[in-house]
Amino acid sequence: MVLDLFKKFTTLWIILVVLAFFPIFTSTFDLPFWNDVVMRIMLLGMAAMGLNIVFGFGGMVSFGHAAFMGVGAYCAGISQYYGLDNGWYQLLMSAVSCGILGIMIGFLALRTSGIYFIMITLAFAQMLYFFFVSLEQFGGDDGLIMDRSDFIFIDLYEPLRLYYLIFFILAAVSIMLMLLIRSRFGVILQAIKSNESRVEAMGLNPLKFKLTGYVISAVICGLSGCLFASWQEFVSPDIMHWTRSGDLMIIIILGGLTYVAGPLVGAIVFLLLEELLPDLLHVVFPSIAENWMIIFGPLLIAVVLFGKGGLMGVVGNRFTRPAARKDQ
Amino acid sequence: MTLTLLLEQIFNGLQAGITLFLIAAGLTLILGIMDFVFLAHGSQVMIGAYAAAAITIATNNFYFGILAAIPITFVCGYLLEWLIIRHLYRRDHMDQVLATFGLILFFNEAIRIGFGPAALFTNFPSSLSGFIEILPDTPYPVYRILIILVGLLCALGIHLFVSRTRVGAMVRAGASNPEMTAALGINVKILFRFIFAAGATFAGLAGMMIGPLTSVEPGMGEPLLILSLVVIIIGGIGSVRGAFIAAILIGLVDTVGRVMLPMLFKTFMSVSTADTAGPALASMSVYILMAVVLVFKPTGLFPPKGA
Amino acid sequence: MKNKFITAVIAAGFVASAGTAFAETIKVGYMTTLSGGAGIIGKQMKNAVELAMEHKGGKLGGMDAEVIFVDDQRKPDVTKQLANKLLKSEKVDVIGGIIWSNLLMAIHKQVTRSDTLLISSNAGPSPVAGSNCHKNFFSMSWQNDQTPEAMGAYMNSAGVKSVYAMAPNYQAGKDMIAGFKRFYDGEVVGEVYTKLGQTDFQAELSALRAAKPPATFIFQPGGMGINFVKQWKQAGMDDVSKLYTVFSVDGISLPALKETALGTISTQTWSPDLDNAINKKFVADYKSKFGGYPSFYAAQAYDTILAIDHAVAKSGSKDTAKMREVLAAGGIPTTRGSLKMNSNHFPIQNFYLREAVKDSDGVVTSKIIDTVFEDHGDAYAQDCKF
Repeated sequence: MVLDLFKKFTTLWIILVVLAFFPIFTSTFDLPFWNDVVMRIMLLGMAAMGLNIVFGFGGMVSFGHAAFMGVGAYCAGISQYYGLDNGWYQLLMSAVSCGILGIMIGFLALRTSGIYFIMITLAFAQMLYFFFVSLEQFGGDDGLIMDRSDFIFIDLYEPLRLYYLIFFILAAVSIMLMLLIRSRFGVILQAIKSNESRVEAMGLNPLKFKLTGYVISAVICGLSGCLFASWQEFVSPDIMHWTRSGDLMIIIILGGLTYVAGPLVGAIVFLLLEELLPDLLHVVFPSIAENWMIIFGPLLIAVVLFGKGGLMGVVGNRFTRPAARKDQ
Repeated sequence: MTLTLLLEQIFNGLQAGITLFLIAAGLTLILGIMDFVFLAHGSQVMIGAYAAAAITIATNNFYFGILAAIPITFVCGYLLEWLIIRHLYRRDHMDQVLATFGLILFFNEAIRIGFGPAALFTNFPSSLSGFIEILPDTPYPVYRILIILVGLLCALGIHLFVSRTRVGAMVRAGASNPEMTAALGINVKILFRFIFAAGATFAGLAGMMIGPLTSVEPGMGEPLLILSLVVIIIGGIGSVRGAFIAAILIGLVDTVGRVMLPMLFKTFMSVSTADTAGPALASMSVYILMAVVLVFKPTGLFPPKGA
Repeated sequence: MKNKFITAVIAAGFVASAGTAFAETIKVGYMTTLSGGAGIIGKQMKNAVELAMEHKGGKLGGMDAEVIFVDDQRKPDVTKQLANKLLKSEKVDVIGGIIWSNLLMAIHKQVTRSDTLLISSNAGPSPVAGSNCHKNFFSMSWQNDQTPEAMGAYMNSAGVKSVYAMAPNYQAGKDMIAGFKRFYDGEVVGEVYTKLGQTDFQAELSALRAAKPPATFIFQPGGMGINFVKQWKQAGMDDVSKLYTVFSVDGISLPALKETALGTISTQTWSPDLDNAINKKFVADYKSKFGGYPSFYAAQAYDTILAIDHAVAKSGSKDTAKMREVLAAGGIPTTRGSLKMNSNHFPIQNFYLREAVKDSDGVVTSKIIDTVFEDHGDAYAQDCKF
């Protein structure tokens, strides 16, 4: 079983191993800042992996998953505001809140499909965004300053504790996803994506599976948001701005949406490009270093025009097979 | 709240809605006929506004600026389709999202490099700065009435074109069944390119007209893009008639809601609560409207027949 | 889609500087928004910092200096990551800049805790001035409430009996109206919160025309200010009500408003015509080097560098505790004259009434017409205990 998972998802395992040992690299070369970059990559990568359950495997393009990150983050922020510092409790709160919210939004949104689904999920996310902007008590859009949560036995202010907390939750989510995608549920979800009526003809209720997938993805985004709040020591509605939902989608498409590891690869490349492209431009064309997006934009177009199936598809890792092939 | 004020607000909503319609008209056809998710449509608005503003500043003639900017936006749309878009029709929606998102970044930065990051100064000529009494004691700006008239004229033109001409018949056929249209031997390539360029022109025209009212700056198209997507969804993808009705609806709900909701709330709750809840709900109003419509009519109010 | 980059800029002046064997270098990280819609503000601030470094011969307080510019993209998480980079990778001695309140809130705790000075060139939200204040934080601008307070006080003295107030529906907008109401004694007949990022105000103007208030107070920063003032004039609202503004008509929006803005009144701590030697040199050199007037953002960025220069020169070191002591004592030479410091490390300063006028070259700019407050401190200093 374990060996089987290893064979099927080589790229993901390699990334996890690299992430596990990355702090050794940074401490050897005295680059503590890069731990921070990688924490952000892991957090957004985790959210993107969650989104990809519905997005890549279920074929439901949700344009509102940043809202679940936001709800997760505010679960941490608001709990702490009222003196509930326990991080495990906050994670549980995030999961439960996002689960309930996921059921409610998913139930209404899944009445639609295609582009209509994209827009209705955006609509719900925008409502939540404006709701948190109007919460004056918690700082509105100026946000809420908070401390890192208190994970009993783990003092997050000690070096690397937060890094490994995020890493282990990411690893747990990854392993769960590998199992999920290969389970009966995962197979049916992917079958719904390629032909919903055939699944229905088999006597299954597609809505039930789609809704379950939607809720699981919402919960994962919520966990990511809850940890994001501790990482940032600050919560504001900015975390759930629609452009972040867009970022998550871009990360997935960039990495390859039919692969479990795709979103993580996408997050690594996307955020490293953000990090390095301006520096690089500053060396090559200093006059447009501030306008680095003029290079970044066409790069995205090039990935679409010249590659299929995102970077995982372009690189064509021979160890990695798509978990599901796209019906063209 | 007097009746005249309400009527004036309805006028304001009409003007906002008409502007949205100009942007949404092209986009609904692009989405409906070509099944293409085109996120960079807001950039067309920006290109139109910049072209008109730059030429107006250079020639010091507002009318010349608009007249010269119309063909520019058409050519821009035409070239964009030919260079990039036509390669993407056969891709799935995700690829289209990624590529056109890249286009947004590119256009915004290109404008920022070309014209600087600051907003451009524009104003309409003094000949258009007067007022007309739409109701006794209710002056309304001539320029805004002009926007409504131009918009209605465009809407009428698009309607006649789609419902009365041969090419329009192809467009309608395309909206309800794209594969079948291609199978009938209609030259889809040329049709697509024409629709795309025309859609860009109408969006650009909207940009040109609102330029003197708002600040012409990089990224000005994105908020309008989101709103026009809402319009298209409510109206039903591919339906020009639906887009028109939805645009007016959104314009009215947004405008009237913004002003009336806080007033309404103050009648039954404390002033401070109303000051918080009113504007918050007004910000959400268009999204609430969209969600409600979709929950009850999952393909919008006026889905094209056969879709 | 957003991110950061470094523009390592002003290299430490003349390499073999005056012979000290152990020439120390002070490193300053300067954070502002250079990309995106607000890029114009960041650009002006960056210009001003470069100008200040040029005026100081590439040194701060006689010490070799390096300024590292980073682009926060107006995103809290990017800002947080950049702060980390400046602290851990670049090991800067001071972090300056920050336009937006939420970005300052996002990094305030982390930077001050790391025993590094954090000097805001603009943002001044109330938590940082009051209960969450920190000894390592200094403001070279103002607390958010103060500028509207000044407008409220002026309108009292001008005998304005009732007013209609309008601001975007977000935290800064609510703070502005709260600050205004704290000092304004007349009646607030209407309090309207517009949408953030709203471009068309015709509906609000129609409602305003119907309400016919003698005065209208607005806070509409950035592009919203351009839109509002333009549409106000286009709708002929000057005949209906008198417009009083804060942070809506400034060096950023004036070039896009031009003649439309003439006669508009605002309050501010700074103005290009402020009469002192430092300001005259700053405005003249800024205009000749970059073409066009600097905004108050630029002036505050310039002052931020002057403050660091003053701290290093007077303490003779780049040690955080010693620099802090110097800054806390006040008497910092800036474009606003010698600046006093309050107990919460926000300036105690004058607030002026300004009007948009044409200068001798026909360019629209602001001119001081009155002093509303002298040596005005903020309302939150009493809540601040280090």
